[in-house]
Amino acid sequence: MEGLLFNVNNGYIEGIVRGYRNGLLTGANYTNMTQCETIDDLKLQLGPAYGDFLASLPPNPSTSTLAAKTTDKLVAEFRYVRANAVGSLAKFMDYLTYGYMIDNVALLITGTLHERDTRELLDRCHPLGWFETMPVLCVATNIEELYNSVLIETPLAPYFKGSLSHQDLDELNIEIVRNTLYKNYLEDFYQFVNSHPDMAGTPTAEVMSEILEFEADRRAINITLNSFGTELSKADRKKLYPNFGLLYPEGTLMLSRADDFEGVRLAVEGVGDYKSFFEAAGLGGGVGGPGNMAGGSGSDGKTLEDMFYQKEMEISKGAFTRQFTFAIVYAWVKLREQEIRNITWIAECIAQNQKERIGNYISVF
Amino acid sequence: MSGAADREAVFPTRQSLGLMKAKLKGAETGHSLLKRKSEALTKRFREITRRIDEAKRKMGRVMQIASLSLAEVTYAVGGNIGFQIQESARSARFRLRTKQENVSGVLLPAFESYLTEGNNDFAMTGLGKGGQQVQRCRETYARAVEALVELASLQTAFVILDEVIKVVNRRVNAIEHVIIPRTENTIKYINSELDELDREEFYRLKKVSVYPWKLRHAAHTAQVANKKQRDNAAMDAEMKAKREAKAALELENGAPEEVADATAGPTDLLAAEEDEDVIF
Amino acid sequence: MTSQADYKDRQFLAVIGDEDSVTGLLLAGIGHVTAPPDSQKNFLVVDGKTDTATIEEAFERFTTERKDIGIVLINQHIADRIRHRVDTYTAAFPAVLEIPSKDHPYDPEKDSVLRRVRRLFGE
Repeated sequence: MEGLLFNVNNGYIEGIVRGYRNGLLTGANYTNMTQCETIDDLKLQLGPAYGDFLASLPPNPSTSTLAAKTTDKLVAEFRYVRANAVGSLAKFMDYLTYGYMIDNVALLITGTLHERDTRELLDRCHPLGWFETMPVLCVATNIEELYNSVLIETPLAPYFKGSLSHQDLDELNIEIVRNTLYKNYLEDFYQFVNSHPDMAGTPTAEVMSEILEFEADRRAINITLNSFGTELSKADRKKLYPNFGLLYPEGTLMLSRADDFEGVRLAVEGVGDYKSFFEAAGLGGGVGGPGNMAGGSGSDGKTLEDMFYQKEMEISKGAFTRQFTFAIVYAWVKLREQEIRNITWIAECIAQNQKERIGNYISVF
Repeated sequence: MSGAADREAVFPTRQSLGLMKAKLKGAETGHSLLKRKSEALTKRFREITRRIDEAKRKMGRVMQIASLSLAEVTYAVGGNIGFQIQESARSARFRLRTKQENVSGVLLPAFESYLTEGNNDFAMTGLGKGGQQVQRCRETYARAVEALVELASLQTAFVILDEVIKVVNRRVNAIEHVIIPRTENTIKYINSELDELDREEFYRLKKVSVYPWKLRHAAHTAQVANKKQRDNAAMDAEMKAKREAKAALELENGAPEEVADATAGPTDLLAAEEDEDVIF
Repeated sequence: MTSQADYKDRQFLAVIGDEDSVTGLLLAGIGHVTAPPDSQKNFLVVDGKTDTATIEEAFERFTTERKDIGIVLINQHIADRIRHRVDTYTAAFPAVLEIPSKDHPYDPEKDSVLRRVRRLFGE
């Protein structure tokens, strides 16, 4: 049924995005890239995919400028798609940017709290999370003004309302603010894809639910693992878990009670994927504490984080097997981000002469 | 006379000769001690410079590993955390302590790093994503900074030792090339002056000892008594002045002694005049 | 010679560097901001827009004004920008250490201390 009218409004976008997806670097490309001796060689390898964007780089550019340029391409393409999107797809893409917006707003809050010139911070904001009224936020000189402008000027208002007051911005650690916002955002996004008349019951809702549930679980697990040994209380921690996802509600309840790595492992045992991740990670790092690290020099052992990224990429790749869905836009952005991370990683390894770990990138094509 | 060479401004007397000899001895002892100190320091210095050279090269590698772990954080967090880190820095967890090491009397400071307990400015960083990498990166960097601290100790020791060795070498050279030759010159000068005086005295006394043969005995005795009286008066005056102004030691010392010599001379020779005549 | 009082209070490190170096070193826990009235930081982030005068001023502050800093870390490529200052700095405290940055690998030829080492051995 959804296929009947999908192409009327969104056919062009879908075509474009699928085209972009085909432009993603493949395993063979990555293999070539890892053989490079210098950043210039790498630049040459990236030529076909990123040609115009890398042209202005000086010889042997730094890895951060390389990353900035590759991000520019993503942003340019995203803006193009966004400009051509209409109706609920446009709304969907706006939702996609909210995540980046949260990061930007958190940045501005930090800047305001420390009485920095917030105008400088605009350069540091993620371009995907840019919104027109963002410069207005920079006018704010104290946290209360900022809080009010955020409520008035940004689409993030609903995420602040009800869970954060302006005093909270002052007192709570910025990471807690960020994660609270992100939790609200994920829940809202989940709600949106499952209740909007254009998306409910379509492949969009189906695929997006899977992606968002995974994202929610990942955050819950990460927050738990990272909060060990910090002043974050269990009750506060529980407030940061999104209220949906494969782990919700039993898993998250157990997570909220977990005291160590073992507790987290028990909590996620109900979900096959996570269980296997933890088993793999547990072997690498040993039990106890945040033992899921591969260790400073571990080149073969994958970290939990790596496996989560791998899983995210698998899901994103899977999204392209479906037709008539907005989820491919989301999946494309995520795949593209991973690609940028991979390029940066490889460039970094080349620059730092640490070839033994150059294979730690994630490629799904 | 050796006055043309570089020498100290002293009166050529036996006392200053004694002083100079003591001074020469002191200078020689000091020279050998300083020389030994300089050698010990130089040995240490060379060792330190070699270690600096090694450590500096090693540092390049250590810092590369650390940067890579930061890249890992960027990879996992998916963005730049620099700004946030800069803003959340509050109180140093990684601090220094300085201790001292004694190398041949030179106090060389050494840095020692320690971590203060309980203040963790970045515990929450990467809470939602990448926190483990952040923690790992912190450890890697902490290790890197430890290496840097060690290098800084070496470098400080290098700078201080460099300075001290320069000073010590300057002293050694000063003693070797200026003080010792000058003291030797002075001694030579005093010796030659004293010899000269001896010869003069001898000649004078010879004249004096010939005299009584030509004069009657009484006249001679009167003259001697007269001379004695005059000399005694002069000596008394000098001794008094000496007691009053001890500051001008050398000058004061010289004068009475000469007077004493002069007084002693005739009396002695009066007894020995026959002998001398026999000789000449 | 340095007296005891000259260095017993020196318990911090200071850093002048690019964003990545500073971030990393701050992660290690060297960052310190003094009590609010003047809120002095012991680190300076240098990017393309930072002018040389600012770097010099920070170098001056860390090396001469502040008495609580034992080691000043400075990225080599930044030290190059104020090379005359770094080369003429000979005091033992605080120790100035040139460190490599991510984008600029270490070049032993440029290091002021290492050059002194070389000179002493007549290489």
